[in-house]
Amino acid sequence: MRLPEFMRTTTFRSVLMIFGAFVLCTLLIFGIVLRQTSAYLTSNIDRLVDNMAKTVIAGELLRTTERLEDQLRSDPRQVKLGGIFDSAGTRIAGNIESLPPGLRMNALAQTALVARIDDTGRRMQTARVIVEQLPGGNTLVVGRDPDEAPEIFKITQRVVVLGLSAALCHGLTAGAWLSIRTQKRIEEVNRRIQRIVAGELRQRMPTLGNNDPFDRLAVLVNGMLDNIEALVRNLASAGDDIAHDLRTPLTRVRILLERARGNAQSFEDLESAVDHAIAGIDHTISIVTALLRIREIEQTRRLVEFSDVKMAELLQEVGDLYEPFADEKRLLFSVKIDSELAARADRDLLFEAIANLVDNAIKFTPEGGRLELRLTRDGENGIIRVSDTGPGIFERERELIMQRFYRADRSRSTKGLGLGLSLVAAIVKLHGFRLNIAPGAGFVAEIAFQPISMKTHIAA
Amino acid sequence: MARVLLIEDDTEMATELSEELMGRGYAVERAADGTDGLAKARTRQADVLIVDRMLPGIDGLAVIETLRKERVRTPALVLSALGAVDDRVRGLRAGSDDYLTKPFALLELIARLEALLRRPAENLSTALRVGPLELDLIARSARRGERAIDLLPREFRLLEYMMRRPGQLLTRAMLFEEVWNYKFVPRSNLVDVHIGRLRRKLDGPDEQSMIYNVRGEGFILRAPA
Repeated sequence: MRLPEFMRTTTFRSVLMIFGAFVLCTLLIFGIVLRQTSAYLTSNIDRLVDNMAKTVIAGELLRTTERLEDQLRSDPRQVKLGGIFDSAGTRIAGNIESLPPGLRMNALAQTALVARIDDTGRRMQTARVIVEQLPGGNTLVVGRDPDEAPEIFKITQRVVVLGLSAALCHGLTAGAWLSIRTQKRIEEVNRRIQRIVAGELRQRMPTLGNNDPFDRLAVLVNGMLDNIEALVRNLASAGDDIAHDLRTPLTRVRILLERARGNAQSFEDLESAVDHAIAGIDHTISIVTALLRIREIEQTRRLVEFSDVKMAELLQEVGDLYEPFADEKRLLFSVKIDSELAARADRDLLFEAIANLVDNAIKFTPEGGRLELRLTRDGENGIIRVSDTGPGIFERERELIMQRFYRADRSRSTKGLGLGLSLVAAIVKLHGFRLNIAPGAGFVAEIAFQPISMKTHIAA
Repeated sequence: MARVLLIEDDTEMATELSEELMGRGYAVERAADGTDGLAKARTRQADVLIVDRMLPGIDGLAVIETLRKERVRTPALVLSALGAVDDRVRGLRAGSDDYLTKPFALLELIARLEALLRRPAENLSTALRVGPLELDLIARSARRGERAIDLLPREFRLLEYMMRRPGQLLTRAMLFEEVWNYKFVPRSNLVDVHIGRLRRKLDGPDEQSMIYNVRGEGFILRAPA
């Protein structure tokens, strides 16, 4: 027979185990209590027996029997035992049938099985007794029936049994309840996860608002799901953008080839069409390459490539690479170093980022403009600043331009991929630096970094 | 006639490439997987290897690594669909001599193949000469005939690279990788601007130009006829 579902859950098993441990503890505690109690009771009885023996013995020898009889008479609860036996073991007085065998003389109280005889008849009972040798050869036995101890034992037993059965019922109910409740929640969670897996990204874990561990976990998972949903939506829109951006040049190429095939009058016409087509395809390839590059940077965590980079040197190099280019466009290009600084960075990537900013600046600044690449300080931070006299960026466009493919209105007329700044943003983010693009006239982009001290590092 | 061993598993690609190469006067041997490629390369009959990065059987880089361990030093050009910077570095570390990312222009492939076949011998002389052009590597000075040419350090580097490879087509990507040693792809005309500068310095008013533009593809340094 299979157990019901709730009995097979971990929760239920845990409850059972805890309950088992609880029973063991209870039994142990009661055992100790019982032991202590019975020891206490026995010592009490022993004292009473001892007193009785002393009372009987004290005084005239001839009246010993009388004194014993007195004692036995004043015993409404019928717990006292006593007897005087001659040296042959024959009973002279008292309510003990015969001298119990194997008892130590003149010792402390001991347990013995004796036969009690009185008006009601004869019965065997366990008692605490003292045996004393009387002067003249007779033997005195006094004792007491420890009737309270078994009584207490019986009561205790009843309490334990009753208590434990109640606890057992309670435990089982609680276990079942907990187990069923947990199971229900997990089933609910499972159901929702399955729906998420099936693509329903809007689904969330259920919360009760009671801040229990389950709830906290659910809140955490929901937060994670929010992030994932946002990311997926971003990706999807980036994917859409890619598709759009590739579709346009590919369509152009297709039309070009189609028309050339139908209309070309000469081999030269065809050749020029093919050249245009190749250029168009190169353009789409460069989009794909740039995208892959951004993804590569966004996904790398290769801090191993990081080294101490001298920023002034790096900026000079970028200047060196782009100076002829700016010159060609009759732009006034200057590299200014206010402060020699160094930073932990991937040199190649950082070079690429700065080169991109400069490239952008050259691209967007009209002929005759000015362009500056500057290394400076702002309090704790080192700043790499690229500024130009181009059209600048409006506040609302700042975030957008860092997203893939976005090109501000000012640049619609200039050919480009719209990926440059997202690449820069990805590189800056990888380094833990900050990219700031100032709004207003003239384009100003700043990379703020944490400078390191070259000297300390060399010393280390 | 240079012999090329083409190790490429994509049949269509291999056919296109080998036809192009044969049209240009190379002898082409083909292998469709790593095992076959390795066996054919071991015979040392090829002058240059073109190895696809991802091959069935043995991976392209593993082929090159194995060859290098066996002291087969035939220059190898890796073709790869993996374009990440790390992949390129890994390819060069495995012992390949150049790394070209798909998709590429056919001329880019040919130029790089030629560069591998005509690798400049370790030239220990302290001066380079192409026609009237002379480069003193110690004094770091240049002259054309009697005329001294004043070069910036970056222009000197560029000219040195070109003078070590006279008459060879040098593509923009090759120049950018080798002269500037940068690992990203700049806008195409960045190299042109630098070459333009250099050309204006090399060519006097009445002199014939020594740097030839190959339309859309790259540059050749050549002694004037």
